[in-house]
This record gives sequence, structure tokens and C-alpha cells, in this order.
Amino acid sequence: MRRGRTTRIGAVDQLVGALLALSYIALLFLQSPELGMSRDESFYVIAAQDYAGWIEQFVTGEGAMAQEVIDPAWDYNHEHPGLAKALFAISWLAHQKYELFPDDSTAFRFPGMVLSGLLLWLIYLFGARIFGRTAGLFAAVAFALMPRPFYHAHLCCFDVPITFALTLATYAYWRSLTSRRWAFGFGIAFGIALAIKHNAWILPGVLLIHFLWMIVEQRRRGLPLEDPRRVSARPWWMLSMGLLGPAVFLLTWPWLWNDTLARLGWYVRFHTGHEYYNIAYLGTTWFRPPFPVHYPVLMTWFTVPMVTLALAAYGLRMRFRAALPSAFTSRYWRRGKATPDPRCTDVLLIGSLLAPIVVIALPSSPIFGGTKHWMPAYPFIAIYAGFGFWRLSEHLKELLRARLGTRRRLESWATAGAFVALMLPSAQAAAHSHPYGLSHYTFAAGGVPGAADLGLNRQFWGFTTGSLTEFFKERLPDGGTVWLCDTTDIAWRMLQRDGLIPANIRGSWSLSRADLVMVHHEDHFAEIDAQAWVAFGDASPLHVLTYDGVPIISIYANPTGRAMRDEGEQP
Amino acid sequence: MRDAVKEGPPLRSDSGPRIPRAAWIVGGFLTLALIEVVGASTIRNRVPPETDWEQAARHVDGVWQDGDLAIVAPSWADPVLRQHMGARISVQDAGRADLAPYERVWEFSLGGHVADEVRGLEPTEVHRVGRITVRRYDLGPSNVLYDLTSNILEAKVSAGERECRLRRLPPEGGGLFAGPMRPEAHFFCGPEPWLWVGPTVSEDLSLRNRYCVWQHPRVGDAPTTATFEDVPLGESVVLNAGLYYAHERPLEHGPFTVQVLVGDDEVGRLVHRDGDGFERIDALTPGRTGTRGDVSIVVTAPDNNMRTVCWAASVRGAER
Repeated sequence: MRRGRTTRIGAVDQLVGALLALSYIALLFLQSPELGMSRDESFYVIAAQDYAGWIEQFVTGEGAMAQEVIDPAWDYNHEHPGLAKALFAISWLAHQKYELFPDDSTAFRFPGMVLSGLLLWLIYLFGARIFGRTAGLFAAVAFALMPRPFYHAHLCCFDVPITFALTLATYAYWRSLTSRRWAFGFGIAFGIALAIKHNAWILPGVLLIHFLWMIVEQRRRGLPLEDPRRVSARPWWMLSMGLLGPAVFLLTWPWLWNDTLARLGWYVRFHTGHEYYNIAYLGTTWFRPPFPVHYPVLMTWFTVPMVTLALAAYGLRMRFRAALPSAFTSRYWRRGKATPDPRCTDVLLIGSLLAPIVVIALPSSPIFGGTKHWMPAYPFIAIYAGFGFWRLSEHLKELLRARLGTRRRLESWATAGAFVALMLPSAQAAAHSHPYGLSHYTFAAGGVPGAADLGLNRQFWGFTTGSLTEFFKERLPDGGTVWLCDTTDIAWRMLQRDGLIPANIRGSWSLSRADLVMVHHEDHFAEIDAQAWVAFGDASPLHVLTYDGVPIISIYANPTGRAMRDEGEQP
Repeated sequence: MRDAVKEGPPLRSDSGPRIPRAAWIVGGFLTLALIEVVGASTIRNRVPPETDWEQAARHVDGVWQDGDLAIVAPSWADPVLRQHMGARISVQDAGRADLAPYERVWEFSLGGHVADEVRGLEPTEVHRVGRITVRRYDLGPSNVLYDLTSNILEAKVSAGERECRLRRLPPEGGGLFAGPMRPEAHFFCGPEPWLWVGPTVSEDLSLRNRYCVWQHPRVGDAPTTATFEDVPLGESVVLNAGLYYAHERPLEHGPFTVQVLVGDDEVGRLVHRDGDGFERIDALTPGRTGTRGDVSIVVTAPDNNMRTVCWAASVRGAER
């Protein structure tokens, strides 16, 4: 082993990455119709449709640059930048023209799926360059099979796209430390991250800390370090970040093209003063700060497969010494084997892993988004899990050699076997999580029933309605009305557009007059149960959608409504 | 493979003492994977199938008596229980304040859970239906002599000197943070639309649904009164009262008061401040057992803004 040199990545690696990406995209594509549209997705669909109109106008060159044309098209949902939604719009436009997808929802979601696939490719390359191919492959698959990211990977939302963009920017920054060309790439990647979601705001802080750390370490050791020709202490990346980042951000968000400073100020103020939505956690529904500091840590423990976390912890433990200041290790931890590379890569990885978690752990940070708000930490958890697996595979080979002598083919098979065995819990969890995604909890929480015992959030966004489409069709064969609870009217209409719900089963604005009333079970939604009981004089639901025995949606029937009339007509 | 930051030289087969450690590590992770896979499957296999619920509900339904109540542990399975027990669980039962009205409790237990309401009691019967354990608890005769909550439509309701009239309209309300639904039959005091009195279900500060009487106070300490004439009296009037949770949770509004009167005598008073949740008082009426009289529930609030008061009360005899 030669320190300071990365694995040489070649065509085979790109092929592996591409295969990972394509397989994942295909899987997401096939499963997408089983997943009801979520609340936030429905807002982004409306925005994307607005953008699509403007994009068409822009392409045809018909006065698209006038403020009175830009503003109406880009005003909706301007609390988030435009890039991801523009991609959703382009995909939908392509579908309009070429009928590429089975339904409209898949058309909107497809760019998110593609970015999810590209993220696996990137994790593989990043992991392989740092810790070797075995580690990279394990990392990519481990991330792909984490149940919560697996759910989010299907959606036309920003959480996987921003995870991709932040990982890409971190990778590009890391490469830029040894290659000036990558400084350019970093600026673009950072701009893409800015243009997707405001999580990008924390990245410069992480990188600055790492960069200063690296310089101090280099100085302390005395330049030249191990390979001084390749690691540059010149901050080209900063220049690129400062110039290209904002340029990409502004160019991809036409809403900012007029009244730029005022609108930028509004955007920043919106997120720095974001309102608090409630979320259930450990038996308490949290409505306002201070929020529990351990929320992101325990929720990670409850939702990411245990073996992946254990391998990541093992990998981190193996590399921990390399992430400490040499001034410390030279005095207090002299004998360790893990030493920092010239780029202090472990400091960067650990910083990127911790930063999203620490930000959400702050008692004042809103926690309503569940795990998705610190999902950018997960690729780095996966990379350390990959390293942990590589270490484990080395131990396995050592054991085989001790007993059977050197038999390379057997070692390879044993490594492959261990890979599969250690990936089984993740595969099982990911498969079982679909299409309930946000309701899934791992064995560490006692599964879905254990999480209900612990008082953890059951779901949000109202997407589980997608699991009831057959029920609605059966109960309301001649049409009727449904009170939609947490599902937005737009999301319901998407189910209709996709052909999953007939057009004559409509959303109702009146709970007491609806034929059927849905209650998405979250603790604070108990009042909807209560309202249905009073409205219909009956506390017994007609149907309860359960997941591992845990109620997800209750459906109450209006005794004078169509669902009950149809019931009466049945033999 | 050339790696950037892999630690140290490759492990050697002749490194002696390292081998047992390597075996521990490999074996440990593989065992963990096995535990996770088997554990997750076991959790799923312990979930009662639909047929268990149907059989358990049929069993209880077959021996059901007046004064019975069906509950489930853990409480999150309550919607499934209500689905299978149907009309056996009324709105009053689902939003009960306590077990006082009931003589027997049927507990559906999943995975060995015990409901808080029956913790410490000895079951008289235990019946296993697949993955559900059904336990019967005999509580003895109920000490509830008269339930004020479910008889609210028999009461006389007034706002100050003005009598509120009983009316029937389609139920109104519904939606997140919309508060309790106004029922079909209710007394309308007005003029504001929320000044009505009637039976409903309110979500309390602990996010639990309470079957109760909505009795929103009027502005400026003017009383809203519900009077139950000539009802049997006992040892006490037990009253629970609270607010719709979304109006109590900010902890920024003034107190309200609920008085319990027997005839003209105040026998109990609950002063509720935000944060108290659904609170109970036992208004003692010693020496009145076996007599009859008028019981009034009077609600006032100096500032009635967001004072969405809901109460549940009953006249009770001696503790059983």
C-alpha cells in the first residue's frame, strides 16, 4: 500500500458506476406507480407545470425574458430555487411530446430518479478512490438500500437531488486539492447545490474548516509533506465557489432575475426564520423549540439498517486517528496505524458526515422533515461502512489463508458471500419499506410496531393514500367523494391523472358530507378521528390500512353516503 | 488496488494473535446481520393477522353484556379494535374519561402489552386467539348514577339570562386545527357561531380524544349554564374539563372556571389554566345519596378568547 495515492479509476469503474445507476433507476422507475404522490411533491408539480410553460416560451423565443412573463411563471413555490423543479418540468415536457413514461407522476419524478442513480455512481467513485473498489461498491449499495433514502429517491422532491449535489460538490472540492481543473468543477457543483436547496449554505463552512485544518497540518509537519507536488494549498476552490456558485444559482432561477436583492433577501429570511411544523418523537409531539438534541442521532439509529451503521462505526473507529490533529496524536496516540493522507481526507469525510446532523441537532433547528433533512450525511456514513466492510473482508481473507493457504478465487467468493450476507438486512428493509417509506423503522426500533410503541412519527405528507386506490374503486364504483385529510387536492388529482383513481371519485372539502373520510394516523390528527365520530355518530372505521399491524389510515363511511349505500346493495 | 488512506500493512497470516480477533470481527458482523434479518422477520410474524382479529372480536361479541367495554393494548391499535368491534364501541366509549361506567373490560392484548387502564387488575378470564390475548376484567357494578355528558340534550341551557334553544342542523366543522365538530343536535346560544352547547369529541392537550360537552364561555365572566333537573344524587359529581389542544398549547390565554352546583350550592369548582390539560375534580356531595336534585355546570372565563371548553361529568355513588 502506498499512502497518498488514490485508486486509479478507469473505464471499468465507470462501467460499474453506470450499472449501479441504471439498475437503481430501473428499480425506482418500476416501483414509482405504487407510491402515492406526497404533499410536497404535489406543490412542486404545480411549480414545474408553470415553469414548463415558460421554458416552452423561452425555447421558441417569444418574449420569455420580460418580467411580466417570468414572474407569473416562476412565482409559485419561490421559497425554493428553481433548478430541480425545472428538471421536473423538462422531463414532463418531454413526456408530453414523446410519451416516454407510463404516467405524469413518473415523468415529474424521473429526474429525481436519475439523480439518485447518479448519486450511487458518485458514491462508488468517491469510496473507491479513497478506500478502494470493494469499499466503494459496498458504500453505493448500502446507501441505495437505506429505506428512507430509498423512498425519497422515487420522488420529485429536493432531498435526494441536494444529497447528490452536496456529495458531488464535496467530491469536486476534494479533487480540486490536487487538480486545478476540478476547482472549476467544484464551482459548478456548488452552484448546482445552491440552485437545488438551501442545505448548500452549510457546505462552505465545512470545506473552509477542512481546508484550514489541512494547511495547519501541512505547516505543522513542515512542507513538503508526503507528496507536495500534488496537494495544493492555493484556494482556487474558493475563487470558483465565490464566482461560479452564485452565477449558476442565479442563472438557473429566473425568479431572481428581477428585483434580485429584495427577492434574495426574502429567500434567505424565509429559511432563517422558517416556521415550525410539528412532529412526533419518543411519545411527544414537538410543536416548537427547543427540540431534542438527540433527534437526528436516534432517528438515524431507528431508520438506517443496524449492520450498515455498525460497519460505519467500525470503519470510523479504524480511521479515527487519521482525523485527529497530529499535534494531539504525536503526544497522546503515537502507536496508531491510521495516519492522515496529505488531503486530510478523513477530516473532510467526517466533517461532511457530521455537519448535517449537527445542524439539525441544534435545539432551534426545525425537525419536522424527519431524516430527510440530514440525508446528505448518509453517503459519508455509507463510505465508512464500505471501508468497514473492506477491513472485514481483509480479516476474512486472513482467516482463510491461515486455514487453507492462499486461494485467491476462494477469497473472492468469500468476500462476495460476506457482501451479500451483510447487505441482506438492508435489502430486506428496503424491500419491506415500499410503499410505506416514511412509516418504516428498522429492527433497532423494534420495527414498525416497536416505533409505534416508542411514539415515533408514523408518517407525513399523506402519500400512503396511494395504497388505498383499489379500496376506493371497490367502495365507490359509481363515484363519490372522499375527505382527503393530509393528502393535498393536487396529489389526489395526480392519482386521477395517472389513472389510479377514477375522475368521478372526487376530493371533498366537507368532512361531514363526504362519502368517505380518511384519517392519516399521526398523533395530532386524532382530532380528525373525533370529527368523523361526531359527524357520522360512529367510532368504528370502515377500513384500516395497516403496516405490520400498525394503523396508517383509517377510513370512516358516511352512513348516508354512497359507500354505505353500495354496501347495502351488495348480497 | 492502490488505496489512499488504508491503514498499515496488509494483515499477515502469520500474525498469530490477530487471527482470533479477525474471527471475532467477521463472526460478529455476520451474527449481527443474522440477528437483524431474523429479528425483523420475527417482528412481522408476530403481527396478528386479520383472522385473529375477527375471531377475537367474535368471541367477545358472543358473550357481550351491557356495561362491557373493549380496549386494546398497545393503544395505537385502537383503530383496528374499533373496526372489528363495530357498534360495540360507541363514540362515548371511544372518548371515555375513565372506567367508572363499565362493569367488565375486555382487553385485547398484542405482544404481551397491558393497557394502563387495567394495569394492576387481575383478569377473570384469559383467552388466546392466535396472536391476540383477550383478557376479561370484572370491575363490579358501576357507581355512575347519572351521566351528565350523554344526557346534555335533556338539560336546560342558558347564556346569562337568555335560554339557549335546542336545534338540529347538519354537523359542521372538520379539518386539521378546526377543533371539535359541532354535532347535529345542540343548544345554540349565539350570536357568535361557537357559542353552542352540545356533545362532541375534543382532542385534549395529551392529543387524546375526549367525549365531552362543548360549552364555550361568553365574554366577560357572563356564565353559560347547563342545568340537569331532578337527577339522582350520590356521593360526588366527577367532572373532567379541558380545552381543545390547539388553543391550550400556546399557553398564552387566560383561565376558565367550571362550577358544579347542586341546587344553588356550589359543590365543586375547577379553575383551569393553560397547560393543565384535561383536569378532574371530584365535587363531593355527602349525605345526598338516594335523593334527587338539580345539578348545574357553569362555565365562565374573564377572557373567552380561544376558551374552547369541553367537559365530561357524571353523578357517582360510593367508590366500588
